[in-house]
Amino acid sequence: MNAAVHAGGLVKSFGRAKALDGLDLTVKTGEVHGFLGPNGAGKTTTIRILLGQLRADGGQVALLGGDPWRDATELHRRLAYVPGDVTLWPSLTGGEVIDLLGRARGGLDPRQRAELLERFELDPRKKCRTYSKGNRQKVALVAAFASDAELLILDEPTSGLDPLMEAVFNECVLREKRAGRTVLLSSHILSEVETLCDRVSIVRAGRTVESGTLADLRHLTRTSVTAELIGPAPGLAVLPGVHNLTVDGARLRCQVDSDALTPVLAELARAGVRALTTQPPTLEELFLRHYEGATR
Amino acid sequence: MTGTMTGTMTGTMTGTGTLIRLILRRDRVLLPVWIAITALLPASIASATTDLYAHQAARDSFAAASASNPAQLAMRGPIYDASVGGLTAWTLGSSLALFGGLISILLMIRHTRVEEETGRRELLASGVIGRHAPLAAALAVVLAANLLLGLLSVPGLVAGGLPAGSSLLFGLSTAAGGWAFAAVAAITGQLTASSGTARGIAIAAGGLLFALRSLADTGGIGWLAWLTPFGWVRLTRPYAGDQWWVLGLVAVFVTALAVAAFALSTRRDLAGGLIPARPGPAEGTLPGAFGLAARLHRGTLAGFTIGFGALGALLGVAARGLNTQLDTPQFRELAATLGGAEARLSDVFFTFVMYVLSQLVAGAALVSALRARGEEAAGRADLLLSTPVGRLRWALSHLVFAVMSPVLLLTALGAAAGLTFDGDVARVTGATLAYLPAVWTVVGIATLLFGLLPRLTAAVSWTALGLFLLVDLLAEFKLATGIVLDLSPFVHVPATLLGSASSPAAPLLGLTIVAVALTAAGLAFLRRRDLTPSA
Repeated sequence: MNAAVHAGGLVKSFGRAKALDGLDLTVKTGEVHGFLGPNGAGKTTTIRILLGQLRADGGQVALLGGDPWRDATELHRRLAYVPGDVTLWPSLTGGEVIDLLGRARGGLDPRQRAELLERFELDPRKKCRTYSKGNRQKVALVAAFASDAELLILDEPTSGLDPLMEAVFNECVLREKRAGRTVLLSSHILSEVETLCDRVSIVRAGRTVESGTLADLRHLTRTSVTAELIGPAPGLAVLPGVHNLTVDGARLRCQVDSDALTPVLAELARAGVRALTTQPPTLEELFLRHYEGATR
Repeated sequence: MTGTMTGTMTGTMTGTGTLIRLILRRDRVLLPVWIAITALLPASIASATTDLYAHQAARDSFAAASASNPAQLAMRGPIYDASVGGLTAWTLGSSLALFGGLISILLMIRHTRVEEETGRRELLASGVIGRHAPLAAALAVVLAANLLLGLLSVPGLVAGGLPAGSSLLFGLSTAAGGWAFAAVAAITGQLTASSGTARGIAIAAGGLLFALRSLADTGGIGWLAWLTPFGWVRLTRPYAGDQWWVLGLVAVFVTALAVAAFALSTRRDLAGGLIPARPGPAEGTLPGAFGLAARLHRGTLAGFTIGFGALGALLGVAARGLNTQLDTPQFRELAATLGGAEARLSDVFFTFVMYVLSQLVAGAALVSALRARGEEAAGRADLLLSTPVGRLRWALSHLVFAVMSPVLLLTALGAAAGLTFDGDVARVTGATLAYLPAVWTVVGIATLLFGLLPRLTAAVSWTALGLFLLVDLLAEFKLATGIVLDLSPFVHVPATLLGSASSPAAPLLGLTIVAVALTAAGLAFLRRRDLTPSA
């Protein structure tokens, strides 16, 4: 069993609204897996099924080799979860909540707890009532990172954190990864996923639209090419796989399908190149392409 | 009263209209139901009184019996006039003030402090909403709703043949009860950052003010009644001399408290309280789900236990002199019909009062029973249930306190009453604890709903308890009989003090079985359903 999470064809409806419509998700043990999608795509619903809080209407799902609904209590010994919208007990302090969750998960490392509190700059003596959204999120994050869970399920964990804290968060995730833990990270923040994740799954409207390593997914998109040429390159316009070609004197810009790069470069070389920049597709472009699908 | 402030506070009132529409939209079911039920009740009680006591002689003897019944004095006060109108006003005056007061408190806190605590107010406050607009909007809606239900009760009374002027005064007195406690809650909503505490302080103040009126009427200390809204709503004396000016007292009271509430609201931060939050421990010792539940329930339980203990002590004192003081032929006759020739007057008193108070205990137990759903709705259960804490264990951790709550409260009530009455703690405590299975049944209903209809749990549970109260009231006027009456679990509790039931154990066992079955079914459904946060 080398998949921490394996879900196939998940279906879940709330009344007439279909939240999941055949969603697939595989998270390999030891990887950081990005779970990407716009709001309402079904990310949180999937996570709540994985946590045994919702029962799927259809499809199969296995979590750490068990059934997340039937074996919830047993499986929860081995995971830690940070909800996207952290609500805490208003009359308890942050420190009390961290210790409560830690104890419930079978204890946490006090050294790590202290270190994390310091790095996240969280005052554990304050009542949760007085915490901001970001600080409530930090409480849940400290509790999760200080546990020795083998699987971390993080639902848009940085949505309330400032950039400095996001950096601390990134370090923590990388440390978990080095320690061999599995992380499922749902997000719509692409830079976060780009720096952290080994593989990503992109969901839209309750279905998985793409899944694979970032390299796998990049082949689906186009490379931006900007060049300053010595001579004209008339053949470029008729090459298949070249898009949005603009020529401004000697400057040329276009977008090229990954499998058309070789003939394009040959054509450019024939014309003579003074300067050349190519940019890999950003995840933004990946993302936009899938979102545009909705309106197309 | 918001009108008088407009001159100085125009800017801070901006957006009140928008917020009023928001409140009306959110409570579009609750408000009409509450208004309709309360507005219809007076006419139905008046017509039932006409049917039951058709002749003046019958009404006179009923009034004489009631006037010498200390339990009736404690709950409803004296009868000012034995006419149909006078008896209707007496029957409903205190109950409507209690009911309207409670709903007004809940609504006020819901639309002021809860909004701040949940952070929803922040979203609105960043828009074009003046500092005073939220409080003004909540007060406007709650005051208007009370006024409306008071006015709507008038046509029914007039159609039943009662004088229009007095009926209007009765309607306005009903509204006044709600007004007074809307104003009280306007203040308590400013004091603490926690909506639960704000609600608790307001309800405790209501209990104290009610006890004050009770003491005034049972202890013969008439002037005390002038110090409490529960006194005022009776002292307007509709159908018995119509003292309109007493409404002026209510107006002064409401205006003063509202002005104070607005003043307080300018002295604090959004979502802050006047009582500042202190830092707490940096490390926690809560051992798990049960420890957390204990922590969440302990404040409420302690408060209720002290409250019911104080109430019991008060009742014990009030009952002390009864056996000699009220030893009238009428009352002995009443005691004899209820509990046999040997029945002591004080026992009749306790039996009456415990019957009513047990339903208040059920309300307190319901607060504990609904806590688990509250945790789920707020999304806090999600986090805890992602740990190895299983759903059943989590639900049980809260259920334990809902089950323990009536044990504590009924013991406190009975023990304190027995202690201050004649020192025989066991006897009165036995009588109060007899209500345990009935209260557990209410807890069972809430647990069943929690498993079956999570979104409607709180609303339907409170409605069920309200219906039991209504059934009891209607039963008194023979408007509810047979199977309808049997629906209320409280009806089946034997009056152990009067020794009326030959085998008190049978109904108690039956109720306990019903309670256990409801609870077990609720837990079984809970294990099978999806977690449903309210968002």
